[in-house]
Amino acid sequence: MVTVQHDSTRGWQRRVSEMSARSRRGSVSTLLLAGFLLFPVLVDSDDFPLSTYPMYSSARGQEVSFVTAYGIDAAGESVALGIGTIGGTDDPLIATGELRSAIRLGQAADRCGEIASRVDPNDGITVVEVVTERHDVIEHTLDRSSIVERTVHATCRVES
Amino acid sequence: MTKIEAPPERLATFRIVLGIFVTGYLLVRSPVFVELGHRSPGRFDAVGIFRVIGQPIPHPINSVVVAATIVAGALFTVGWRFRVTGPVFALGLLIVATHRSSWGQLLHFENLMTLHVIVVAFARSADAWSLDALRRAHTRVEVSGPHSPADRPPIDRYGHALHLAALTTVITYVIAGVAKLRYGGFEWMDGDTLRNHIAYSATRLELLGERRPPLAVLAVEHSVLLRPAGVASVAIELLAPLALLGGRWRNGWVIVAWLMHVGIFATMLVGFPSPLFLVAFAPMFALERVVLALRRRT
Repeated sequence: MVTVQHDSTRGWQRRVSEMSARSRRGSVSTLLLAGFLLFPVLVDSDDFPLSTYPMYSSARGQEVSFVTAYGIDAAGESVALGIGTIGGTDDPLIATGELRSAIRLGQAADRCGEIASRVDPNDGITVVEVVTERHDVIEHTLDRSSIVERTVHATCRVES
Repeated sequence: MTKIEAPPERLATFRIVLGIFVTGYLLVRSPVFVELGHRSPGRFDAVGIFRVIGQPIPHPINSVVVAATIVAGALFTVGWRFRVTGPVFALGLLIVATHRSSWGQLLHFENLMTLHVIVVAFARSADAWSLDALRRAHTRVEVSGPHSPADRPPIDRYGHALHLAALTTVITYVIAGVAKLRYGGFEWMDGDTLRNHIAYSATRLELLGERRPPLAVLAVEHSVLLRPAGVASVAIELLAPLALLGGRWRNGWVIVAWLMHVGIFATMLVGFPSPLFLVAFAPMFALERVVLALRRRT
């Protein structure tokens, strides 16, 4: 009987000791995790998967420059191409991010050719142009005249 | 505070919910991940772990990595050989998600799910409701007969992982709130910035030849309502630690945070899948009780 009590007490002490060790490990891991997650904020460096989450955080003005691409048909009318044709993706962030990057690196003509190769030949589009347009975004959203400035970076023909 | 004590079933439920969500996400988005292997290396702009490697994953290795990650995700979900498949899934997800953000545009909607998978993968998340648990129970019955409740492992073992996952959610929101004040200043809360962001998203989509978000025009036309919305969005993010208090504080914060994401999606078509599908908030709740209640009913 005495032996059983002794074993039981020892077992209880061992469990408490294990729990406090796990609790210490838990506190350390909590601090480490918080440190890792907050580190990018301290050094102001956005990365993956640790981030400063800067998306949509800047104070944005009413006039904004956009990069995009248009198709031009035989009558000279401008035709919207769609994200899939412009960027080979369904994500507007990726499509515009890559197009902006190509323009910055002086590769607008190459990208224009890529976009032209994705144009459906049955759409009647003969030319693709890669542009930067500056718009008043409020006016544009309310369907009013919005364009402030336009720069054509590259123009290329669509192979039929 | 979020309770450190939790039964193994609670962590298991989060593993299953997270596993189904992330594996489903990878499956649905797999064409996008696979397409990256066909891109010109000249367009590669390494972030995260790819800064060490310095180059993209070539085709067909990229396709194999994406497929293997999806398979590992399925095994993570069912808890098969979890000590191996858990970390493999976390590593695979880290690779494919980092690879995707390494083409000139950091995408912020995969950060939280990746961090959650890392936390769950390196915890004892398959001690219950898993193929591993079934195998262990089967072996135990064969060796020493049915186990008693006293054999159950200590409950604080599982709560830490859930606490870390909940803390990860909370800290990411606080960082997003800090970013708005840091980069946008108090202008972010005057309503004009939010109106301009909504109009910017609508204009960008239209210039790319897509439809504008359904509520963008309504929001811009009634921009007086956006001033409180701007203040509220910053407050929701900065006050995220309230969720760790549990109870009504947690429930209230989760509801308003989710409504904020619904609002962002309706006015800007910007969707953060993990919070929109409530997975980001799952570690804050005793979800196993829902499963057990459903079991009792049937």
